[in-house]
Amino acid sequence: MTASGLVLVAALLFPLALAAGCLSERLRARALGVLVLAPLPALAAALLVPDGRFALFPAPFRLTLVLDRPGAILLGGAALLWSAAGAYAASSMARDPARSRFAIWWLLTLAGCLGLFIVGDVVNFYLLFTLASLAAYGLIIHEQSAAAHRAGVIYVVLALLAEAFLLIALVMLAATYPDANPQIRSVVANLSGNPMRDGIVALFILGFALKMGLVPLHVWLPLAHPAAPTPASAVLSGVVVKAGVIGLIRFLPFEAGMPVWGGVLIGFGIITAYYGVIVGVTQRRAKTILAYSTVSQMGLLAVLLGVGLDAADPAATELTAYYAVHHTLVKGALFLGIGVLGATGGRRLGLVLLLTAVLALSLGGLPLTSGALAKLATKPMLGYGWIAGAMTMAGAGSTMLMVHFLLTVRNDTRDNPAASPPRGQLVPWLTVTAASLIIPWALYPIVSGEPVAGLLQPAALWKVAWPMLLGAAAMLILLRFPRRLGAIPEGDIVELAGAGEPLVRRASDRVGDVDAHLRRWPMAGFGLIALAILLGGALMLRA
Amino acid sequence: MTAVLQPGVLFGLCGAVLVGIGLFAIVTHPALLRRIVGCNILGAGIFLVFGAVARRGAGAGLDADPVPQALVITGIVVAFSASALAVALLKRLSELSVGEGRAAEPAAPRSET
Amino acid sequence: MTSVHATTPSGFLLVLAVILPVCAVLAIVACGPRSAARIAMTTLAAGLAVAIAIAMELVAGGTALSYVVGGWQPPLGIALRADGLSGAMIVMTALVLGAVGLFARSQYALHDGGGAGRAQTTFWILLLALASALNATFVGEDLFNLYVALELLTFAAVPLVCLDGRAETVKAALRYLLFALLGSLLYLLGTGLIYGQYGTLDLLALSQLSREDPALSAALALMIVGLLAKAALFPLHLWLPPAHAGAPAPASAVLSALVIKAPVFLILRLVLDVAPPQAAAVAGQMLAVLGAVSILFCSVMALRQARLKLMIAYSTVAQIGYLFIVFPLAAGSADLPPWSTIAWTGGALQLISHALAKSAMFLAAGVVYEAFGHDRIADLRGFGRVLPISAAAFGLAGLSLMGIPPSGGFVAKCLLLTAAVAEGYPWLAATILAGGLLAGGYVFRVIDKALANPAAPIVVQRAVPRRLEIVALALAAAAVMLGFLPLRPFEFLQIGRSGVSMAGLP
Repeated sequence: MTASGLVLVAALLFPLALAAGCLSERLRARALGVLVLAPLPALAAALLVPDGRFALFPAPFRLTLVLDRPGAILLGGAALLWSAAGAYAASSMARDPARSRFAIWWLLTLAGCLGLFIVGDVVNFYLLFTLASLAAYGLIIHEQSAAAHRAGVIYVVLALLAEAFLLIALVMLAATYPDANPQIRSVVANLSGNPMRDGIVALFILGFALKMGLVPLHVWLPLAHPAAPTPASAVLSGVVVKAGVIGLIRFLPFEAGMPVWGGVLIGFGIITAYYGVIVGVTQRRAKTILAYSTVSQMGLLAVLLGVGLDAADPAATELTAYYAVHHTLVKGALFLGIGVLGATGGRRLGLVLLLTAVLALSLGGLPLTSGALAKLATKPMLGYGWIAGAMTMAGAGSTMLMVHFLLTVRNDTRDNPAASPPRGQLVPWLTVTAASLIIPWALYPIVSGEPVAGLLQPAALWKVAWPMLLGAAAMLILLRFPRRLGAIPEGDIVELAGAGEPLVRRASDRVGDVDAHLRRWPMAGFGLIALAILLGGALMLRA
Repeated sequence: MTAVLQPGVLFGLCGAVLVGIGLFAIVTHPALLRRIVGCNILGAGIFLVFGAVARRGAGAGLDADPVPQALVITGIVVAFSASALAVALLKRLSELSVGEGRAAEPAAPRSET
Repeated sequence: MTSVHATTPSGFLLVLAVILPVCAVLAIVACGPRSAARIAMTTLAAGLAVAIAIAMELVAGGTALSYVVGGWQPPLGIALRADGLSGAMIVMTALVLGAVGLFARSQYALHDGGGAGRAQTTFWILLLALASALNATFVGEDLFNLYVALELLTFAAVPLVCLDGRAETVKAALRYLLFALLGSLLYLLGTGLIYGQYGTLDLLALSQLSREDPALSAALALMIVGLLAKAALFPLHLWLPPAHAGAPAPASAVLSALVIKAPVFLILRLVLDVAPPQAAAVAGQMLAVLGAVSILFCSVMALRQARLKLMIAYSTVAQIGYLFIVFPLAAGSADLPPWSTIAWTGGALQLISHALAKSAMFLAAGVVYEAFGHDRIADLRGFGRVLPISAAAFGLAGLSLMGIPPSGGFVAKCLLLTAAVAEGYPWLAATILAGGLLAGGYVFRVIDKALANPAAPIVVQRAVPRRLEIVALALAAAAVMLGFLPLRPFEFLQIGRSGVSMAGLP
């Protein structure tokens, strides 16, 4: 196996090995300290391994790892955030009694998430997707509050539903395939010849949309993100939702294109982008606002993918990955920033708030930040039609939401006692912040194929600045309506599902009654005789 | 008419009647002891059917096919063991019910349904 | 009649598998209760060795093992025969019985300090009788002989249910016995009809003779439905939940993992080997409908249960359903016999992984009961803190039941799903998925409790030795390890099948 192959393998196996090491009491006691190291092989793989390298494992593992450009971009950003958030957790949770348990869930989720970006075969993709999905449950319920358990239950139900959709889609995709565990690339290339292709694509979109949090399947995000500990929220919002993005990138046929399903993705994406903003501005808690912002941003990513699918443009996957890595770093930094802000007071608070403001407005497209770069890089792909207009207005919406977020955190931190945040939390936060400001600049020429100098033109600056100003102005108007706050509960439509609960309960009771009835002796006896007569009759009629 | 009176057919019909009675008893009677008796009647009916089969299979110059007879003998042993086990359990159940002072009819505790 | 069976050189292994436990029972009776556990454990180990020897012979020879008892050819004599599927069942049985034996030994040591209580001796005798009856069912070729084996199985299983002698368990045992008796009598009636029609009860001979006729139809209906009563498929599951939930943990484990598999195995043989193709198709459809209803209905019932063991018992009825939806999926075709289909492998894998996972679950539940003195799910908050290994065993076994990778249950469900999609049974595919979701629900309910913070400090009634928990974990881990089997038809399960004529094929 080549050196690059080894690095790829280490990216997947190192966190798993650390998790397995936690079986030993000694290692478990200091598990929190190794979280920062766990994603480093993945980071190395993203930086050092050239595109297109792969590693194969023979049976019985039948694992294929492969690195392509969208995968590498996402992998690098995700590994960086995982590492920084791990360092943050080592400081912020050092005195948590259940920290070793947290570390194990963390390592498992991490292995699943990072593995998804490099896995190349169908079965192991599903395996890692499952690992990432289910292990994240341990992170969500860590605080053990009632809210955390409720969020955990809703999360698991939706995650299992996503698993089911994916499983049937993968089975339908591979059913006619001679190899039991084909490569993703080859099955997707043959998708257009599959008679069930529309069903398959619909199920993929459904399954991955659940993970991404596209409306109306977004309900777990605003419940889970605030309930989890701060570093966990950062990776949940920054990386775990990207499992859906990489899934769509991998399994939708961007080479061949499918205009109808592209349109569906665009539609859901735009609805999600606006819905997240509208519900987000009614929220009171900073973490919830960020969660809704993630919902909205995932909508934008879905639009990008939809446009790519519509136009049969494989380059869209790279641009989507670029946009996604911007969101990964910024959102991760913002969540960690909430923690840092909570521990900061006095003189330094202003500085931290300023940095937070830069990060937050970057999501709306603040000139010269990663947000502006991401928007400019994707502009040409969107063209000048209504989709481009809608995306621009969504940028204005993001600005609105972020202004609301900034006002909320300023309010929350106003009375903080003078203190400076622990170094163990400040440094990771600053690292991610710096990365979010620098990395997109480095990637821009690679992804968009245009020089960086073009970004500094006044026209380019204005292109991203005016929607921001519009959004900020809109927010100033909206501030006159304070009654909007709390108007929509966290998790919005999940409350509607609560209305269906009595129905479900009644149906379940009905099943219980039927069971009690069937399990009475005479009933079962007659059932036995009736079955025998029925089967005998059927056999004789056919004979 | 003569066909009906042939021993094989007669045995078969009697067996069928016994099977019917046995099934009816097992399914409809709430008393456990009667269900056990029902099982025995059902078993007897089935053994009669075997007898009929033995008679019919006696084409090769024999008076009767010996295999079903061997099966019936084995079957009777099995059925006897089953009855013994069931009665032992029933006896245990009635003792327990008496011990707890709950059973109104210790000899034949009724099933709850 | 031409001889269809010929004793193969290692055919004596089959006799050994059946006879060895019986000899051990006699030895226990002769040597007295003091040495019961020792004799039983030795025999279970020897049984495992025999099982592995059978499997190795099958692999080495590539054909079925046969033994004609006393050299008498059927229809007068009795033949024993083990093909790949039987071999897999025998190995699975030996493994689970061995693990359960280890568990029971430690558990009894906990209670009466290694002394020989009456219940303990009875348990060992019944466990050995069970081993013999199960092996006899898996290697039997004669329908009447199989009837005797099934009855032996019932007679060994019923007292296991009421080993603790409480009134409610005696009641459950009696209910189980009577319903099983009803089922086996129907089976016996069917046997009589088949003998009357064909003059033989040998399965291999029947597979060549059987044709569409009313007597065979009636006989098949009676036998299949009789076996369904013993397998407790919906709607004939009345006896299973109280019996399996009331029995002591090791007994529940063998009852749920092994005992109900024997009738399922026989139904498989009847439908695939004896039934003519059209009849097999009709019966398969009907069994699949019942199986699908069983999966959905009993999974909901499992979700509703307040007690852990009852939940696991209902889950057994649900999981048995998967074995019945195999029939239409493994129907095969002219150039692809049933045992070469992926559904055949999927079904066998489901059977084996369920046996391992369910026994692990019941043993873990037994540990919980031992530690807390109750198994009310609502009051088990934070039991993962006290019993981390048991919680892990339960979770891993749950993964297999839910069909989450990597686990045997996942491979099984994936194969069945693929078959359902490829053969055009969307309703079965939907059932499999929905069943997985519901299983996720009931497993997760317990896991959520295990991980929760206890409301009050947990009071453990009795410290449970690690050994007990490790046995459960080992079984669960074995169920997970099955997930590394490749996703395609497994050759071992096809050994010796082609010896059976294509009865189930056009």
